[in-house]
Amino acid sequence: MNETLTSINELMQKGNMAEVVRLSQVAIDEGSTSTDILNALLSGMSVVGVKFKNNEVFVPEVLMAARAMNGGLDVIKPLLEAEGVESIGKVVIGTVQGDLHDIGKNLVSMMMVGAGFEVIDLGVNVTPEKYVNALIESKAQLICMYALLTTTMVNMKKVIEALEESGLRDTVKVMIGGAPVTEKFAIEIGADKYAKDASSAADEARKLIAV
Amino acid sequence: MNKPMTSYERVMNRLEGKPVDKIPNMNLVMAFAAKQVDISYKTFCTDYKRLVESKLVSAEVFGIDTVSAISDPMREAAGFGAKVILPDNDVPYCEENLIADLSMIKQLKVIDPLSSERMLDRVRAIELFKSQVKGKIPIIGWVEGVLAEAADLRGVSELMMDLMLEPNAMIELFEILYEQQKAFAKVQVDAGADFIGIGNAVASLIGPELYGQFCLEYEQRIIKDIHAMGAKVKLHICGNTEPILGLLARTDADIFDVDHVVDFSKAIQAFHGTKTVANGNLDPVSEIMSATEGEVVEAVKKRILVADERTMISGGCEIPRSTPKENMVRMNQELYL
Repeated sequence: MNETLTSINELMQKGNMAEVVRLSQVAIDEGSTSTDILNALLSGMSVVGVKFKNNEVFVPEVLMAARAMNGGLDVIKPLLEAEGVESIGKVVIGTVQGDLHDIGKNLVSMMMVGAGFEVIDLGVNVTPEKYVNALIESKAQLICMYALLTTTMVNMKKVIEALEESGLRDTVKVMIGGAPVTEKFAIEIGADKYAKDASSAADEARKLIAV
Repeated sequence: MNKPMTSYERVMNRLEGKPVDKIPNMNLVMAFAAKQVDISYKTFCTDYKRLVESKLVSAEVFGIDTVSAISDPMREAAGFGAKVILPDNDVPYCEENLIADLSMIKQLKVIDPLSSERMLDRVRAIELFKSQVKGKIPIIGWVEGVLAEAADLRGVSELMMDLMLEPNAMIELFEILYEQQKAFAKVQVDAGADFIGIGNAVASLIGPELYGQFCLEYEQRIIKDIHAMGAKVKLHICGNTEPILGLLARTDADIFDVDHVVDFSKAIQAFHGTKTVANGNLDPVSEIMSATEGEVVEAVKKRILVADERTMISGGCEIPRSTPKENMVRMNQELYL
């Protein structure tokens, strides 16, 4: 990694979006490939993910880092598309029906992007039909469901049932998480994986779809 | 034979480390309480008489040693003018953030809590509790913590970014929220609250640096104010508070609710030599709602094993609506010494 890419990596971790955006363009002008810059950004986010898991940084710092990463990604996006660089997999994510909490889901989404996935974020209060339609449209390999309430976590099962009814269950892995959700609950409703936090979710996603 | 202690005596004795017949059962019930009297969540949040009934039934049937006016976090938000949606069977929420952009902070006005329908409803609940419990059960009023109220009005993600990018605007906002918090606490204490609960859940999302910069002073100020009003304070921050335990020990809260993701013994240790008593910290889902009675007993024993003479026991956060009644009864039985 040259000096500019190293700076992108470090400044991204510090959440300095303006400098990451500027240096991403500098890196392009210096001849770095879009993949080089992408790797500098993703490895930075990976470090942030580990620090978050270890309670060395917290939600505000993660959001700032993700914002900086997205700034850099916007700069190199046209080049990535022109060079045909593909993501390591597609993930559909959402907070389940009846639940309007988004912070946990957003953190998972950021960690997934940081791990190199293409993320289709359906937002909050997502119906089973919306998950199924998004899966059909995107051909994603993984569905992530989030719930913060004991009253809404039960709706995760309805999504799995909708996947079964539409004949898509065998085409996709299902991962669930959120404060009240447990591994036992994941097994009970037929999910493939429970993730206990945002960083673990990205790690488990890689394992689930064998990247 | 000694007369059984009242809940009030039990809680107050335990706070001081004096003998009790049972470790106070401090379970926090909302949706579960509403279910016991077969009312919708909307009714629970809007009709203080039914809320009080639900909490009294919960105290009687499940041995919960407090009655509390808590229902949802959107009472102050409604007072500030936010459009609060009250679903029939879900927690009230704001459809749109009242503070859509930071320039709107200047438009926020501290109001007389008694002029707000939703805030007045809570005060009425406390008055009714006061007339019903006759000093035998501690009454807990509630206010939102400054950070939590900011999240209610601004949105969690937006607030997290604002803390990093707009610290001066945040202080300006927090000063207004603090004044509102103080006014709301005052009318609840005047109405008869023995404790004021401060709900500041979102504070577990920020680390020690930002908690020290933005929260600690506001917790200390409102706690000092509530003490001066003559009431005690129960500080509730669910989620992982382990990284900020050292700072929480400086708040001077009388009780701190420790969520299940925190090592309970570390929390108890962090509060040694301070005014604060640790309360917690069973996992409300896996150790209470989905557990067998035997597992509930084991979970309670595990907490008692690390408890000191002041520790109180409860779920780390709200007891879920569908928790089996038998588990709650069994949990209470296990708290007798």
